[in-house]
Amino acid sequence: MMPGPGGAGGAPGAGAPTAGAPSVTPPLEPIRSHRRLRFLDDEQLDRLQDATLRILEEVGVRFPSEAALEILAGHGASVDRATHVVRFPRHLVRRALSAAPRTFTMAARDPRLDLHLEEGVSYFTTDGCGVATIDFDTREERLSRKSDVAEMARIADYLSSIGFMWPTVSAQDHGATSQLHEIDAAVNNTVKHFQAMVMGAEPARRAIEMATVLAGSREALRERPVLSNLICSIAPLSHDRDGIEAALAFAEAGIPVGLLAMPTLGTTAPATSAGALVVGDAEVISGIVLLQLAFPGAPVFHSIMKAWADPRSGNYVGYSIDSRARYAPVEIAHRWGLPSLGACFGTDSPAAGTWQAGAEVALDPLLGGLAGPEIVTGMGLARTYTLLYPEAIILDDDLYQRARHALMAEEISDETLALDVIADVGPGGHFLAETHTRTHMRTSLKRGLTHEPAPGGGYRDPVEVARERVAWIRANHHPQPLEPAKAAELTRILASADRESGAPA
Amino acid sequence: MSETPPLRPIRPARHARFLDDGQLANLRAAAFEILEEVGVHCPSKSVRALYAEHGARVDEAREVVRLPADLVVRAMGRAPRGYVMGARDPAFDLVLDGTALYVATDGCGTQVLEAGGGRRPSTAADVATAARLADALPAVGFYWPMLSAQDHPLTAPLHELLASYPNTVKHVQTETVMGARPARYAVEMARVLAGDDATLRARPPLSALICTIAPLAQDDAGMEGALVLAEAGIPVGFMSMATAGSTGPATIPGTVAAGDAEIVAALTLVQLVHPGAPVFYSLMPGMMEPRSGAYLATPWENEIAYVVGVELAHAWGVPTLAGVYGTDARTPGWQAAAEAAVALTLCALAGAETGSGMGLLESCTLFTPEQLVLDADLHERVRCTLAAFDTSREALALDVIRAVGPKGHFLYERHTRDELRRRRFSPLTGQVASDGSPIDPLDAARAAAARILAEHRPEPLDDARARELARIVAAADREAGAVAAGAGR
Repeated sequence: MMPGPGGAGGAPGAGAPTAGAPSVTPPLEPIRSHRRLRFLDDEQLDRLQDATLRILEEVGVRFPSEAALEILAGHGASVDRATHVVRFPRHLVRRALSAAPRTFTMAARDPRLDLHLEEGVSYFTTDGCGVATIDFDTREERLSRKSDVAEMARIADYLSSIGFMWPTVSAQDHGATSQLHEIDAAVNNTVKHFQAMVMGAEPARRAIEMATVLAGSREALRERPVLSNLICSIAPLSHDRDGIEAALAFAEAGIPVGLLAMPTLGTTAPATSAGALVVGDAEVISGIVLLQLAFPGAPVFHSIMKAWADPRSGNYVGYSIDSRARYAPVEIAHRWGLPSLGACFGTDSPAAGTWQAGAEVALDPLLGGLAGPEIVTGMGLARTYTLLYPEAIILDDDLYQRARHALMAEEISDETLALDVIADVGPGGHFLAETHTRTHMRTSLKRGLTHEPAPGGGYRDPVEVARERVAWIRANHHPQPLEPAKAAELTRILASADRESGAPA
Repeated sequence: MSETPPLRPIRPARHARFLDDGQLANLRAAAFEILEEVGVHCPSKSVRALYAEHGARVDEAREVVRLPADLVVRAMGRAPRGYVMGARDPAFDLVLDGTALYVATDGCGTQVLEAGGGRRPSTAADVATAARLADALPAVGFYWPMLSAQDHPLTAPLHELLASYPNTVKHVQTETVMGARPARYAVEMARVLAGDDATLRARPPLSALICTIAPLAQDDAGMEGALVLAEAGIPVGFMSMATAGSTGPATIPGTVAAGDAEIVAALTLVQLVHPGAPVFYSLMPGMMEPRSGAYLATPWENEIAYVVGVELAHAWGVPTLAGVYGTDARTPGWQAAAEAAVALTLCALAGAETGSGMGLLESCTLFTPEQLVLDADLHERVRCTLAAFDTSREALALDVIRAVGPKGHFLYERHTRDELRRRRFSPLTGQVASDGSPIDPLDAARAAAARILAEHRPEPLDDARARELARIVAAADREAGAVAAGAGR
């Protein structure tokens, strides 16, 4: 459960500061499902995998990067230099993927919050990367900026549901080096792992430099990568030069790299879910094959987030009413032997706290938890991953905790069955006076946002409660700061990057 | 007259178990121990006599009935695992065979939220209006009279049935008929609807839900009414709403065990007296609000209790009415959506045959038409999410992918045109007004409800049967009036 300003008195929780000392970051509460649900059977997974292999072999994927084409040609892929399209023989795909690790560690600034990826445990992140913010103080919508990332990092640091952090919004006040400033804002405000979205070989080099400062050395970084990076492909069946060259740089440094495909049914993918999934899978697998051929054993993860084109407008729709196979990508990744970044949250609702914002995402952490992705995005944005509402992460956290509890193993023991108590009370009695009731009632009701008592009876508006919790966290939670020497070193790297790019400091 | 759209029950492609065999065995052992050693309070002398006649140990002084395990096992072994709940139109019969989850409306509310935000007590006319709305929504598998016919205080349950049947062709389940006398009138109404006794047994157009009293007690009117209904072949279910901390131990397994024993004690009686009668099991435990003592249905850690109820029903070999939906929210919005979806999904995955209830706010008390439309949209989301995934050659579309190739687009493809027409988008979200501004899904739901209520007129009940139902209820009114007058003297 979320500690903190629960209850009518607003009593401080685990993150409350003592005078002058930094706040304690509460331990992580990942979703540990004791049950696994398969949405696809083996035959379906094999069909999907075979279709991906056929696309890779017969249609190919475009790699507009000389460096990538060089590596792929050198390992036996069929490279068309004129179109940049690469076709992959099956045996090459299989061989390359066999080098990829099934699990690895995504380290945190505080080693107690390292994420040791494992089957059956799902760590969630904030959403990203939005472009607009409902201002934390004025409540007016404006362009997002670096300080928003810092605010969200502090809130994410406080929430036990957040295992690691994405740049929730873009540091648009820093132009060309915004992605590096997002790293800076995050690592100064959370002790948790950060997953960046850096593109381009040169920015990647800077990001690796920043991560090296945080880790202490290149070797330490490889051992405990405090940074990971997510790269999007371009549907259909194409990579971005900046993306793929950043991926190569990160993989070389031992920084985990995720390949994310976002096929849209009807525009950049076939208008059938299976067709969209295999297009996305071919993009992701082709990128991972490149990384494994170049740097065998590099930590990588797999992600497909499919969406729909609204046939009337072409608008991107994240939540069709038919969201079947939303978690099929998790099974597809696991079938390849790769860890999966699953997709939860990120409502299409233009505002947080609406019926739509609840209806679309309420099932996500439950079904996501049952599917078992190792890492999962992401809480805190509305308007299809673009708009930050301060309270959205708290509302999403509530849905997360509801799902986490639903998936916990139920303890059925003599103590919880309480047969002696039932016999003592007998038919038609009540349990109010029992010691067993006093003992267990203290912990059995965990109050979510929906059960905060209102002064005059009944319960308070959960959205209002969420807003208050954000305010409380902002006022009270101050995570362990980065060592001054490291912070100064990051500032120096950023200044240098800014100078080089001509971006505003 | 309008056509009632075909039902769209939730047919999950996969089922899941949330308790393992050992956990289920522990819970069942606990129920046997409670039934044999603690027993249940049974205030009805005639029901106690029936229990005693069939081998239960009855303590007349304390009105407590104890049930040996072998008696329970023998009785429960006679209960059918599946059967048909009939509808006025046979196309809407519910086949309880474990492949589909049919969800009912909620009930039995007492207040109607009016357009201006005001509230008023519910009447029989509201039951009729809600039935018409439910009839038009494919997500609603069967109808619980959503509101109390408070304008007929003495015979409200029968007036609720009288208002329901002409306004929906779907199966109706009463959750308010209690007592032998009202039950006899209800059976008479069901017989009129079915046409004859054989049809009444084969395709009963009525079923009934009876609440037990936690902890471990029965209501005399509830049990006496249940026996009348079961004798006629009308499916009868028993629901426990044991509340952790007040009417149950403050642990979910303890409350579940006590609630389970309550339900099984009642089901055992029905099977002892009317072997093979169609019955169902419904466990909807709550949790006590420690500051006020109120029943909370939807705290985080309580969702799993509903699924445990589904698995226990199946372990006893009977179908279930699962606790799905239900919100403590006072208005349609984030909370009502957030609280409904998890239990619905978990119970569908666990293989629940039936569930209730869509459309009420404020812990099953407040009706507003748009909430039913919103809940139907959620039902569709869950239905689609759990449905089978298509990996056919047509769905994989490899030829189309090959034709488009890297960095092309799919907009011109015939496959895209054909498939986009088949894709399902919510009629509530993503809607745009003529000026291009987004329409709030709540407004879209209000408009949809208003449109249905203005246009939808289900196949009417034929005059002869309608007259006969009215005659039966009028007789019940007269008798109840006479009884009340007698009591008043």
